[in-house]
Amino acid sequence: MHHPQQSNAKQKKIRPDGRSKVTGSLKYLSDLSFPDMLYGKIVRSSYPHARILSINTEKAEALAGVYGVITHEDVPGLNGFGIITPDQPVLCKDKVLYVGDAIAAVAATSIEIAEQAIQLIEVDYETLPVIDDPEKALKEDAPLLGKDGNVLHRAGHKKGDVNKALDESYVILEETYQVPRQMHAYMETEGGVVVPEEDGGISVYIGTQHGFKDRFQLSRILGIEEEKIRIISSPMGGSFGGKDELNIQPYGALLALKTGRPVKIHQTRKESMISGLKRHPMKISVKTGVDQKGNILAYQAKIVADTGAYATLGPAILDFAVEHATGPYIIPNVEVEGVSVYTNNGVSGEFRGFGGNQVTFALEGQMDRIAEKLNLDPVELRRRNIRKATDLGPLGQRIAETDGASNVLESISKSLQIKQQKSKRSETRYTVRGTGIALTMHGGGLGYGRLDPAGGRLSLTEKGKIEIAFGFEEVGQGIIAVIETIVTEELGCSPDDLSILIGDTKYVPSSGSTTASRGTSMVWHAMQRMKEPFKRLILEKAAAILDIPVMQLQLSNGGVIASEGGGTFISYEVIAKSIGDKEKIVVSTNFDFPTTPDEIDSGHFLYAFSGVLAEVEINVLTGNVRVVALDQAVAAGPVVNEMGYVGQIEGGGVMALGYTLMEEAKMVDSKYVTENFDSYLIPGIYDVPYKMNTEKIEKLAKGDPYGPRGVGEIGNVAVAPAIVKAIHDATGHWVSKLPVSSEEIVTAVSQRGKKRWKKVIH
Amino acid sequence: MEESNTLSKTETEPVNEQTSISFSLNGEHMMLEVDPTRRLIDILRDDLALTGTKISCGIGRCGACSVLINNQLVNACLVMAYQVDESNITTIETIDKEKGTLPIIQRAFLEEGGFQCGYCTPGMIMAVKSLIDENPNPTEDEIRQALSGNLCRCTGYGGIIRSVERVIRDLQVEV
Repeated sequence: MHHPQQSNAKQKKIRPDGRSKVTGSLKYLSDLSFPDMLYGKIVRSSYPHARILSINTEKAEALAGVYGVITHEDVPGLNGFGIITPDQPVLCKDKVLYVGDAIAAVAATSIEIAEQAIQLIEVDYETLPVIDDPEKALKEDAPLLGKDGNVLHRAGHKKGDVNKALDESYVILEETYQVPRQMHAYMETEGGVVVPEEDGGISVYIGTQHGFKDRFQLSRILGIEEEKIRIISSPMGGSFGGKDELNIQPYGALLALKTGRPVKIHQTRKESMISGLKRHPMKISVKTGVDQKGNILAYQAKIVADTGAYATLGPAILDFAVEHATGPYIIPNVEVEGVSVYTNNGVSGEFRGFGGNQVTFALEGQMDRIAEKLNLDPVELRRRNIRKATDLGPLGQRIAETDGASNVLESISKSLQIKQQKSKRSETRYTVRGTGIALTMHGGGLGYGRLDPAGGRLSLTEKGKIEIAFGFEEVGQGIIAVIETIVTEELGCSPDDLSILIGDTKYVPSSGSTTASRGTSMVWHAMQRMKEPFKRLILEKAAAILDIPVMQLQLSNGGVIASEGGGTFISYEVIAKSIGDKEKIVVSTNFDFPTTPDEIDSGHFLYAFSGVLAEVEINVLTGNVRVVALDQAVAAGPVVNEMGYVGQIEGGGVMALGYTLMEEAKMVDSKYVTENFDSYLIPGIYDVPYKMNTEKIEKLAKGDPYGPRGVGEIGNVAVAPAIVKAIHDATGHWVSKLPVSSEEIVTAVSQRGKKRWKKVIH
Repeated sequence: MEESNTLSKTETEPVNEQTSISFSLNGEHMMLEVDPTRRLIDILRDDLALTGTKISCGIGRCGACSVLINNQLVNACLVMAYQVDESNITTIETIDKEKGTLPIIQRAFLEEGGFQCGYCTPGMIMAVKSLIDENPNPTEDEIRQALSGNLCRCTGYGGIIRSVERVIRDLQVEV
C-alpha cells in the first residue's frame, strides 16, 4: 500500500470469496444441513412486561415429531447472557421485560412441527405496567426494570465553565434532536446449526462477530469448558454490529445437547425483527453558545438513550456518544451528560457507528443552524472551529496526530461548490433542490480501559502453503480480501501461495472482535510484527538448502528466489518438505489495539474522518425527499482494497440515507409495529443516487506508524445531518426528528409559500 | 413421551395430501411428491438442497429468493408447489454448471464490486439476467425498475449499478 502505482491493480482485485458468492455455491451457516438434523423454534414473550405465572410444555412434548422442549429449568449454567453484563435471561423464569424475551424452545423433525409445538406451549402471564419511553422510566414512581433501577449507565464529560460561556455568548442556539430505532436489516437473518459432539461438547455453526466471545458466553451458560465448544462463525450474510451479541446460539446449543442431534434454527424476518438488536433511539438536547465571529464558546448536551430491556453494550455506546458529542471541533467549554435507560422496548445495542451517528446529527445540526443565525457560510463556521493536527482528542486525551478533519472539510467543500452551481438549475415547477455538508470524526477500536486484544499467526504448512490465521469474521466487509492483499504485499508472495484461515475457534488464534472498524487495522499491525521473523525463518531454511546467504534471498511467487534473479528458485513446497516433524515454521503475535497514553476511560486514539455532501430533490406537492447526490471525502489512512473501501463508504452512506428518510423500527406500547420489509422500509435501488463519489484521502501525519484505519463505520455517521441541511437549503425548514416526515416537509413548504422559502436560502 | 407421540400422531399429519408435480430445473427434469401448498423456496432449499437461492423476508419484499419461472422473474417464497407444475425453473445454480469462465453477469459482479456479504447476490443476479435477456441495453431508469424488487443492505447499490453497466459494455463488445 506504499506504492501508488499498484492502485490500478488493487482496484480490480477480486475478492477470494467472490466466485462462490456470485455463483451461489457459498454455503452460509444458515444453509447447512446435517444428518438427523432437527429444527428449532423459540417461544418469545406475548407481552413486553409481565410476570410468568406458569409454563406448561406437556402438549408440545407430546406432539409427534418433537424431540426436545427446553425452559429455564434446562439451563445448566448461568441463565444469562450479555457481552459485558449477562443480564438477559437465556430463558425467562418468572418475568419478561420485552417482547423478544425467550421463554421456551423446541426441536422437532420439521419447521412446521416445531411451529405447531410452540403454539402448544402454554404460558400464563400477569401483565405489568409497561414503560415504553425512557423519560417515563426516569420518573420517580416508575416501576423498576433493572436490578438497580432504571438507569443502566451515566456518562459525562466536562471542561471549562459552560454556564459562564453561555452567558457571554452572542448567540445561543437550543434544539432537541430525536433519532429513531434502526434495524440492521442484514439480509441473512440469524441462523445456523449446533451439532453435538462425542466428547459432550458442541460445534456451533452460527455467525457472530467474535467467535471466542460466543465460546466464552456459551461455556458459562452450558456449564461446559470452553475447549469443548467450537464456534464456526463465518461467513455471514451481513451483520453491521447486529450479530455481535449472542442471538440464537444458546437455544440451538441447549436443544442439541438435550436431544443429542444437530439442531438448526434460522429465524424468520419477523422473529429477527422482534428479538434482534437495534440502534439506540436517542433524544439529545443541545445548547450551543457562539461569539459574533463564529467561535463556538460552549456546547452543552444532554443525551437520553433508550437501551430497552437489557444492557448488552449500551453503556459502551453511551460512552462513545459522549466522547464524540463535540466531534472534530475544539470547543473551550463543554458539558455533555448522557444516561442510558432501561425500558420495556426492544434491546438496543451494537450498530455501525456505535452512538456516533446520533450525536453527530445533533452536533452538525447545531453547526448549520448557527451558521444561519450568524449569516455565515457553514463551511467557514466549521473551518473556524475545527481541530488542528496536533490538538488533543475530544476527551482531552492525546491521540495519534491527524489533520483528517481539515482535509475532509476542504475536500468536501470543493465538491459542494461545484454541486451548488448546478443544483438550482435542475429545479422544476414542482421540485426544489438543496445541498448540505456535514463532518464526523470517529474513533476506531474499543477505547482506553477496555480489553481490546489482537493477534494473528503465520505458518508454513506441510504442503508448503503460507497459512495466515486470524480470529476475525467475514460479515461481508471483505476481511478475507484485506488479509490476502496485506499479506501478499508484506511478504512478497502470491495469493496462490496463501491459505487464509478465519472464523473457526478450533483453528484460529484470538484476534479480538470484528467490530469497531478494527479488522483491517489489526491485520496490518499483526503483519508488521510477524513479517520479518517469518521471512527470516523461511529464508534460513532456503539458504541452508540452496547454500546461498540469507541476505541474497527473498520471498516471491511460489517460493524463494535470489534477489538478483538468475533463475535461483526453491518452492515453498520443497522448503516445507525439508522441515522435520518436530520443527515448524510458525510465528504468532499478540498485542493490544493502540490506545491513548492518558488514563481517560473509553478515550480513543486512532480516528477516521468523513465529510459528506448531500443533494436532495424535494417534491413540494408530496413532501417526498429524494437524495440525488451522496458523496464523501474520507480520511482513514492508506487504502488497502479500493473496491472494498468504496463499498464500505457507499454502503454505509446508503444505510444512513435509510436512517434519515425512511427507517424506523416503530414500537407502540413497547410492541413492534413494523415486523417485516413491508412496513420497515430500507433503501431500494430507486432511493439512491445513481452515482456516488468517494474521495480517498490517504495521507497520514509524517512518521505515522499506525497504517490504515478501518472504514467499516465512517461512511455511515455524518449522512443524516448533511441530508437535513440539504432539505433546509431547499425549503428553509429545519428537521430535528428522524426519519424525516414527508408530511412535515409538505406542511412546512405550504406554510412558507413557494416564493418565501426560496428567499431563505443563504 | 413415546406413547403420547403415537397417540397424537393422527392429529398432526399434514392437512394436504401429497401431490405429484414435475418441472424442469436448470435443464434437468424433476418429479416430486409434495404438499401442493409447499413454497418453492422450501422445495429448493430444503428438499433439493439447492441453497444458492436465499430466504430473507418470506413475503416477496426483498428478492433474495428470486428465480426464473418460464423466464419470468419471481419470488420463490410466494410460489407454491402446484403453481410450478410443468414449468421451467432457472436458479442461480444453473450458472455454476458451466465450469471455467464465468458468464458475463457474474464476472461483472465479481470485478465491479457488485456484492459484499453476497446474500442478496444470487437473487440480484437472477434479476439482472432477467433484465439483460430481454433488454441488453437498458437505460438508467430501466435498470432501476428491473432491480427495484431486490434489496441489498451492504453495497448501497453503487457496485451493483457499476456491474450492470459493465455487463452492458461487455455485451456491446461481444456484438
